[in-house]
Amino acid sequence: MSDDKILHVSRRGLLKAGAATTLALGTPAFFMKNAWAQDALGNFPVNGPKVMFGFNVPQTGAYADEGADELRAYKLAVKHLNSGGGMLETFKPSSLKGNGVLGKKVDFVVGDTQTNPDAARTSARRMIERDKVIMWGGGSSSSVAIAQQYLAQEVGVIFMCGLTHSNDTTGKDKRRYGFRHFFNAYMTGKALAPVLAKTYGKDRRAFHLTADYSWGHTQYESMKEFTEKQGWTTVGNIMTPLKATDFSQYLTAVINSDADVLVLNHYGKNMVNSLSQAVDFGMRDMIKNGKHMEIVVPLYSRLMAQGAGASKIDGVLGTSGWNWTLQDAGSKVFTKAFEAEYGFPPSQAAQTCYCQTLLYANACEVAGTFYPPEVIKALEGFEFEGMGLSGKTLYRAADHQCFKDILVVRGKGPDKKKGEYDLLEVVEEVPRDVVTYDPKIFGGELGPYKPA
Amino acid sequence: MMNKTYPSFWRANAPVAYFAVIVLTMPFWFPLIGGYPGLDTKILIWAIFAIGFDILLGYMGYLSFGHAAFFGISAYTTGLMLLHYSSEIVPAMLMSVVVTTVAALIIGMLTLRRSGIYFSILTLAFGEMFYSSAVSTLQSWTGGDNGLTGLPTPTLFGSVIKDTDVFYLTAFFAIVAYFTARRIASSPFGLMLRAIKSNQDRLEFTGINVQRYKISGFVVSAIFAAFAGSLMVIYEPYVATEFLHWSTSGKIVIMSVIGGVGTLFGPMIGAAFMLYFENVISVALHEQWLLVLGLIFMAIVIFLPGGFVDGARRVHRKIMGRSAPSGPPAEKGEA
Amino acid sequence: MSGTLTNHIFLQFVTGLQLGAIYALIALGLTLVFGTLGLVNFAHGALFMLGAYLAVVIAAKFGFIAAIVGVPIILFIVGLILEKGLIRFFYQRPHTDQILVTFGLAIVVQETLKWIFGANNLPFSLPSWGVGIIKMHEWVPFLEGFVVYPKWRIILIGVSMTTVAALFVLLQFTRFGLIVRAGMRDAEMLRFLGIDINKRFAIVFGLGAMIAGIAGVFGGPVTQVDPEIGMNMLVPSFLVVVIGGMGSLPGAVLASFLLGLALSFTAEYSAIQQIIVYVIAVVVLLVRPRGLMGQKGLMEE
Repeated sequence: MSDDKILHVSRRGLLKAGAATTLALGTPAFFMKNAWAQDALGNFPVNGPKVMFGFNVPQTGAYADEGADELRAYKLAVKHLNSGGGMLETFKPSSLKGNGVLGKKVDFVVGDTQTNPDAARTSARRMIERDKVIMWGGGSSSSVAIAQQYLAQEVGVIFMCGLTHSNDTTGKDKRRYGFRHFFNAYMTGKALAPVLAKTYGKDRRAFHLTADYSWGHTQYESMKEFTEKQGWTTVGNIMTPLKATDFSQYLTAVINSDADVLVLNHYGKNMVNSLSQAVDFGMRDMIKNGKHMEIVVPLYSRLMAQGAGASKIDGVLGTSGWNWTLQDAGSKVFTKAFEAEYGFPPSQAAQTCYCQTLLYANACEVAGTFYPPEVIKALEGFEFEGMGLSGKTLYRAADHQCFKDILVVRGKGPDKKKGEYDLLEVVEEVPRDVVTYDPKIFGGELGPYKPA
Repeated sequence: MMNKTYPSFWRANAPVAYFAVIVLTMPFWFPLIGGYPGLDTKILIWAIFAIGFDILLGYMGYLSFGHAAFFGISAYTTGLMLLHYSSEIVPAMLMSVVVTTVAALIIGMLTLRRSGIYFSILTLAFGEMFYSSAVSTLQSWTGGDNGLTGLPTPTLFGSVIKDTDVFYLTAFFAIVAYFTARRIASSPFGLMLRAIKSNQDRLEFTGINVQRYKISGFVVSAIFAAFAGSLMVIYEPYVATEFLHWSTSGKIVIMSVIGGVGTLFGPMIGAAFMLYFENVISVALHEQWLLVLGLIFMAIVIFLPGGFVDGARRVHRKIMGRSAPSGPPAEKGEA
Repeated sequence: MSGTLTNHIFLQFVTGLQLGAIYALIALGLTLVFGTLGLVNFAHGALFMLGAYLAVVIAAKFGFIAAIVGVPIILFIVGLILEKGLIRFFYQRPHTDQILVTFGLAIVVQETLKWIFGANNLPFSLPSWGVGIIKMHEWVPFLEGFVVYPKWRIILIGVSMTTVAALFVLLQFTRFGLIVRAGMRDAEMLRFLGIDINKRFAIVFGLGAMIAGIAGVFGGPVTQVDPEIGMNMLVPSFLVVVIGGMGSLPGAVLASFLLGLALSFTAEYSAIQQIIVYVIAVVVLLVRPRGLMGQKGLMEE
């Protein structure tokens, strides 16, 4: 801990002391406002030679695997920000110099979200109040991300979402202080449905199993909307509890329906379990309506594919934000740096968290300050390339959602894969224009630049 | 019985005064031991919850494994009031207390028909029922797994309260809660609760309507939880489904036992210890902090059933010799 | 519709049996220990989980048969040690203390397993004889078309029912069973008769743990093996025990399958399914406060 931090704490302590004295004197303290903080906002200004970032990832709970990979990426991002390398070489337009941010070296603290919104907020509070982070990021669940976005808006500290795929994050729950680099369920539906129709035919009957929370609901709605546009029929949908591990009672209901496609709107452990059990129930060998029964996993990740195993994912279609086998300059340099550091390739969660950190740092350089409203303005409408995928990426000002190409991927069977991590093959790269939508369809308000 | 030859009001309430001083100076000393603003508020909220729980467990002898139900019901009520009615906290808190009281009456009447182990499991079942309802069946109201988001910043008589204001508001309620709980403990009603704990059958033979006292004790305990749950949402305008989960019930049990059941002060110490442990010490222990906490908990149940307070008393007695009196007067009655 | 109503009812029925089979295996030990020892074991779910983890480890090293034989034996020994080293000292303490210490034990077991194996699923590879599907339409005459069910889940139902039967035989036709049953009725009386029930306590506790071990080996591949299944299975198992009537073995079995079927047949209506178990519990307890087959006077004071 540096000296200036102790000084800083005592400065705040003194102010609290003032408040307490006032109370003791009988003045109602409730009406006292933070009158000293005319230009201070959140943890701005940043004092001392270092700037602190917070990485709040799931270290325990259902998404611990992804959390570990996110943390690896964050550490790599800090390393590159401080001493150059990685995507700093390919990312443009970039104001990053590889000597920290605004002349300050980047330091970081780590928290555990426990894949639980309440724990995530408590952990984030600690990083904000005690460690004075100027920005924090992370998370592998939409409910956790949304809960933290609201906190960000309350306290005036920017939150750069990690992996969250729900429409709500940049839809009805969008916040001025929250930003998402990852794509969302709506874009998945838009990108995936045409490929599904092309591969499996336009006359298909789909049954959905959906994880019963924010992300699952939006994923189901999006898949339903876009597959029906392709001529598919939605036979049924069952909301499954997030904590379910045995899906047999839902799978038998699917088997007994006349559906010939099973869509699993599940992620993480849910998806690993439901997909494995669907295969155990013989679903991939069934003939329904004279057609081969198919399973679709709208949101894929390599880590989950690993969990389910190559034989279970063989030929199963889905979408992904990024894959380490991509051949553009940004992906190559990132994968190379990550492999050199950790000995295996990064996941899409790692890539998105890495990019978020660089994007925030760059926005500070562009704004010339850490003052949150200015940094937000620098991020809004920012267009860049060289961070993975071939085209340009836009951070849309209206909803803080990134727009970029989307990958439709297919699971590789045991005989097709080359090595442990080669589990997904890219079937199609759906261009950004195809998946872009009108921000008005989801409603929601970003809120003010300066929190009340 | 001491009856009317009481010591002065001030002497009888000295522990409350000490407590008030400790609490109100918290913003000064808490950061010195690694705490931070916000955590102090949370500690006091849990302390209020713990005092109420102690009335049920420490005085009446009923171990509830579903007390999160009251904390959570109150939190959701406050959240819904802030969201749909007004950002003013007074009506929100009042409504929360009313709703929680009604819920406690109903659950109390159903669960208090049984005692001991049955009661523990029944309360656990009710708690889980509320949790499952909030996450699934009632999710259009409760926001499901996301929790209740988008609440306005709470206000008191028109002015926004947050951070430090909420701390002093919570401190006020914590001091009142401690004072009230002490009064309850030393009242005839408190004696009756203790009689229920020590020998319920004998009490029934005397013709007293024990059931009525049990339900009253249960409801009083739930009202403390209601204040805690409501303050939790005022502190952070967000309602987590976790507030209803059995792990919250488990947490309050662990806190109370670690601190020392039946002493009122002990459970508050336990609350402070646990939150401090979870948020400050845990950083050093990494992912294993829960394991360490579990071991501490087991060790206390096995070797020191009176918790920290009992431990402190034993140490005190060792130092002062065997003849020293044990603790302040109001904290007798629990060995 | 390719699936007829008969097929539908049949499939959900089998699934209900399979869900109930795991509950039954866990609840049996819970209610046995409660009935004889008067102990509510909050760590029972943790014992089940320990069984599942041991099964994964042993099956990977020495084969699945070794796990089937070894895990229940290990769990029996673990049960004996726990009883002798910890639980025994709590018979004289208040019931709340028993709950607290087993609750603490549950946390410690869960966190230790998480520490060693991580928070993620441990993949369970089934033996070759347990993989694959059974063509139910070849066995059941009234089914139409093509109806299949995973072999392992059918095995699980069989194992559960066999275990239940074995336990009943043990309690009904052996001297040990006679004493235990008498102990469940009235432990005091046995003491007056000069029978040292305490000696049998350790064995009963071990037996409960052993059944949890069987549940771990056969149920683990179905519930999945992660550090949360212990607590996840414990809450419904408690409900099963309460609904069935605490300390009643037939009650526990009946309630297990009742809940399994209720969950299975409401699968398509998640708003109902999520709370059906609790609704049943509340209704049963309102109508029959001691549960479906509970006895009067057991552990009530």
